[in-house]
Amino acid sequence: MDAMDGHMDSISCMTKNPNHLKDIFSGAMDGEIRHWDLASRKTVRQFHGHQGAVKGLTTSTDGQILVSCGTDCTVRLWSVPVAGGMELDDSIDHSSEPLAVYVGKNAFWAVDHQWDGEHFATAGAQVDIWDHNRSEPINSFEWGKDTVMSVRFNPGEPNLLATSSSDRSITLYDLRLSTPVRKLIMKTKTNSICWNPMEPMNFTAANEDCNCYSYDARKLNEAKCVHKDHVSAVMDIDFSPTGKEFVTGSYDRTVRIFRYNGGHSREIYHTKRMQRVFSVKFTCDGSYVVSGSDDTNLRLWKAKASEQMGVILERERRNHELREALKKKFRHLPDIRRIDSHRHLPKPIYKAAKLRQVMLEAERRKDKNRRAHSAPGSMPVEPMRKKRILKEVE
Amino acid sequence: MGKSFLSKKTSLGGSKYEKKNSKDEKKGPRLPSALQREVDSLNTRYSDNSDEEEELHDTDIYEYNEAQAEEESRKNRRYDPVDNLEYKLPDEFEDENLSSDDDDNNVDHASESKSNMNTSDESEDDVEEDSVGRHARMLQNITGMPAEVFDGKKQKFGVVSETYPESEYNPSRDTLDGDGRITIQDLLVPLQKKRGYSELNKRIQKVERKSVPVQTPISKVLQENVDRKVAYEHTKKDITKWELPVKRHREATTIFFEKDTNVGFSTVGAIASGFTPRTNFEKKMDSLINDAKVVEAYREDGARLLELNKISVEDVIDHKNSLAKMRSLLFRHEMKAKRIKKIKSKTYHRLLKKDKLKASHTEMQTDPEAAKEEAMKQEFKRAEERLTLKHKNNSNWAKRVKKRGLEAQDEGTRVAISEQLNQHADLTRKMYSMKESSSSDETSDEDDEDELSPDANPDGVSKLLTKAKEKTQKLLETEDEMGTSGVLSLPFMVREMKKRKEMAYAEAKLAIEDYESSLKQLEDTNGAATSEIRTSSGRRVFGAARKQPEESVNRTKSGNIDRDSDSDYEYKANDNLDVDRAGNGALQKKVPLDANMLRGESDSGSKSVYTSFDDTVRDPDPKTTYEVAIFASNSWKKVGNKNVSNGIDKKSVVVVEPIRPQQDLKEVDKDDTESEEEMVDGFLSSGTKADYELPSQEDLIRRAFAGDDVEEEFEKDKLEVLNEENPEPEKPLLLPGWGQWTHIQKKKGTPSWLLEEHESAKRKREESLKKRKDAHLKHVIISEKINKKVEKLHAKSLPYPYTSQEAFNMSMRVPIGPEFHPAASLRALNCPEVVKTPGHIIKPISFEEVNPHEKEDEQKMKGPNQKIKNKKSNNVKGAKKTKIKHKSN
Repeated sequence: MDAMDGHMDSISCMTKNPNHLKDIFSGAMDGEIRHWDLASRKTVRQFHGHQGAVKGLTTSTDGQILVSCGTDCTVRLWSVPVAGGMELDDSIDHSSEPLAVYVGKNAFWAVDHQWDGEHFATAGAQVDIWDHNRSEPINSFEWGKDTVMSVRFNPGEPNLLATSSSDRSITLYDLRLSTPVRKLIMKTKTNSICWNPMEPMNFTAANEDCNCYSYDARKLNEAKCVHKDHVSAVMDIDFSPTGKEFVTGSYDRTVRIFRYNGGHSREIYHTKRMQRVFSVKFTCDGSYVVSGSDDTNLRLWKAKASEQMGVILERERRNHELREALKKKFRHLPDIRRIDSHRHLPKPIYKAAKLRQVMLEAERRKDKNRRAHSAPGSMPVEPMRKKRILKEVE
Repeated sequence: MGKSFLSKKTSLGGSKYEKKNSKDEKKGPRLPSALQREVDSLNTRYSDNSDEEEELHDTDIYEYNEAQAEEESRKNRRYDPVDNLEYKLPDEFEDENLSSDDDDNNVDHASESKSNMNTSDESEDDVEEDSVGRHARMLQNITGMPAEVFDGKKQKFGVVSETYPESEYNPSRDTLDGDGRITIQDLLVPLQKKRGYSELNKRIQKVERKSVPVQTPISKVLQENVDRKVAYEHTKKDITKWELPVKRHREATTIFFEKDTNVGFSTVGAIASGFTPRTNFEKKMDSLINDAKVVEAYREDGARLLELNKISVEDVIDHKNSLAKMRSLLFRHEMKAKRIKKIKSKTYHRLLKKDKLKASHTEMQTDPEAAKEEAMKQEFKRAEERLTLKHKNNSNWAKRVKKRGLEAQDEGTRVAISEQLNQHADLTRKMYSMKESSSSDETSDEDDEDELSPDANPDGVSKLLTKAKEKTQKLLETEDEMGTSGVLSLPFMVREMKKRKEMAYAEAKLAIEDYESSLKQLEDTNGAATSEIRTSSGRRVFGAARKQPEESVNRTKSGNIDRDSDSDYEYKANDNLDVDRAGNGALQKKVPLDANMLRGESDSGSKSVYTSFDDTVRDPDPKTTYEVAIFASNSWKKVGNKNVSNGIDKKSVVVVEPIRPQQDLKEVDKDDTESEEEMVDGFLSSGTKADYELPSQEDLIRRAFAGDDVEEEFEKDKLEVLNEENPEPEKPLLLPGWGQWTHIQKKKGTPSWLLEEHESAKRKREESLKKRKDAHLKHVIISEKINKKVEKLHAKSLPYPYTSQEAFNMSMRVPIGPEFHPAASLRALNCPEVVKTPGHIIKPISFEEVNPHEKEDEQKMKGPNQKIKNKKSNNVKGAKKTKIKHKSN
């Protein structure tokens, strides 16, 4: 719908204000944090202070405190003013001092806030749990020596959090038991994780191998669903608050929307000028998607591309519903499916997809041939859901 | 630490020992050395008076024995006569807390040595370190035995003097010998006579039996692993509580993420229930509505309400009846309109239009105003004719014809010319005739009255009868010719007419017989009497061709007036007849057969009766119909004898019969027929009664769909399909110039191979036709050809959520849309999976614990106290249920 220009460097992270629909914060690689108003698509205020890139941003559930962390080994807490009074035109120059600055030993890679709680977690060399009111982490976890790349709290179950680290692992933590709980090592690195807000046992991992994997935290030996369609590493993922779909941003310069149980994407968004997407977010009402990309722009998309904006009258809405119902009913018919799933793709992406298809086909063929020439049963067929998992560490 | 202090401690330990045993042994955390020391000092302070307290302290302090402690302690004890290495105390002794801090020199090891609980040994070690005497004293203290018991040791002590320090590398002799160990039994001996000994003994035995070695703590890595495992299990279990809400969430057809809006009142009824009258008007209304009488009546029975309504039951019944009548009328009219509306034939409509025109023409004549209008129109036409003289052969064409002479022209031209002249004459003459009719209205009436006397003659009757007979016969002969044009030519009309004709034929035959018999009788009774047949130029009669019917009309009129010279009626009859004359077409439209008959029988007496019937039926006043009928029959009755009347009755029946359908349309009052039944025979009344019958459903359908032959159409369709799927082979045709080069070739005709091919193709076609599945099924077309266009509308394979084809087909069969569902259920059917209002922040799922028995409790329990109680008990049981709740702002 619109591109929001303002940052001087590529956007590395974003966060939404869970208490205010219009607010979104974005952090850039040059250490700038901006507070945007989605309705007017303007910067409301800026937060200066980080010396290096801002790698993580998060907001407390009440929307009053913004937490940022970056490669300058600091965690900064900012107070977010109440949105009502701050919608001034000249407020772009407004900048505020952080509430607190905590200095750590290593660079921080990610931060996430607990839902309805006082804690937030930072990820870096280890996972630290902080409290708003304390300058030292109240707890820190370390399992292995590799850097933790991303961290995400479970919104439904506030004491559970998942991290992904550079040793290709996904780790679960439980705050109540103050231990790591389980580690899953995959064949490729996981860039980001998101819990399903409506299904607290399920999370989806955005993987480097172009796919997303939905897991059940209780059964990590296989993925519940593999979401394929991207042609390059998936950089970020965020669930819709309805829990029925999620949005992914990829290194292939596209944003895709998947259903929570869909193997392929429902929608793809791309523009000519949009570069690598590093961060995506669903808005709190589930009707928009915001993407932050390498081209220093934030972009606002509709979650449903064909949806009519504005006030819809009852009769009109009923009509829309009827059309949707009709589409849904006949979605299995070949022609209807073709029309429904047809999307125009940029040439490079189209070609990359084709190439990937060829490669996968070759792999499959090879596998098939091998299987044909080996003793029966010696090469069990491994489903895609299990193929990419190396092991589950206890 | 000083030695004295140590000794004191040992003694303390000894005294404690007994008491300790009587108490429960506790394990406490290992204390740091500094703390330990303090505790020790405390122990010394309170050593004498408060044993109990110390004991408690001790028990708290000492926890367990560490493997290393013995060794380390041994290292430093050079003069130990007793070897610790060899001696092993049972583990239980770790619990006997002796607050002996044995290693003074090595503070580092203090902590470990402290935990060492082999109190007796250690105390001994200490003693040996210092001096023999002390040792002995200690032993004495501990065991309570005299020092002589330990003599052996002492002796040894005395003998041995080692220059090198005792250590594990050079053990003392005692250790090597295996002597000089102190067992628990040894220690117990002096206690034997003291209080609590048996208890102590028991405990020791118990401990001995159960003794298990303490395991070494596992490595940190393993420890963490175990922790994680447990934690994971725990977490798993914890997450599982979400299973139910998530399942419900997933299976829900629609999830609503909307704001909770509480309107307060849910329905109109709910709002209305809270209404209380305030103003005077409202109060008045309320008193009326809530009147006790009315309410009661309403509740009990609807009949009471009627009484309160103050309307008589008769009125209601009347009203009901009239309503029913109107409804039936409407229904009949509707039926007819429908039938006519369904006819699609163009020709029919064209003819209908024509008929309508004619009908309107006639109607105009019945209606004085319309007649005026019509007259005006005619006047205008005539004026135009006079003005233009269009038909006076003034056109160029006519002039040329005249010039050449009529004889020179061919027949067609001559006819055309004469026709034109006729037309002109018509137009001009009509003008005069119209004037005549208006002027001679009364005179004709008088004429009619004059006619009364001759008609009364029996002679006239006989003549009439003969004529009637003739006419009927004629009619029977000529019936077939009728109905070849107009609406009658339509097939369904023809069919219907045939049926009627048959009936009429049978009755006509009967009538003829009657005529004959009556004629014979008449001849017998009466001489020859001639009736005047007047040829009068009646009113409004324009054409000479219409002379005959006119006569009959006049006669009937006279017949009628014979009885009752009501001029008003007469006028009506005349009018009707006039109408009759004026438009045969109009009659045809309504009752075609009647019209035909009318035409045929126009000058017979019976016909006159009939016509009067016919016309009066069309008369707006139904009463006159019967009056006419009655008069007619009565007049005959009076004239003739019984036989005659009988015959006429029958005749009248013959005539009445075909009118029926027309009477269907016209409402005839029952009351009127009742009175007639007395006068006329049952025939008539029964006839009128039968008129109420509706044509049966089948009949109607047949009539309505008479035009389209479905079967034939289907056969055509089938043939088409067959030809399409198995096309008929082309006939072998010779291409012009092909094979006709020479004379010889021409003779050969079509080549044989072409013929053969054609034959084989034909055969093949027949075979394939026979093989078809619908070959023996007359009303079915089965096509086994795949239609590619249709294929687009089918799913190629069974889609995912469906497990069976039937289920999928069923789901596809359910229609969607407002055309198929009521508005109330439509919304639910078309509801999307997720309903959310834009701008509403959706919060993540939250967990709520709900008591599943709460509801049951409420039903079971009456008092609030009991409910609470039960809730408590439930809580104790821990029965819990989950419930999703979406928080909303």
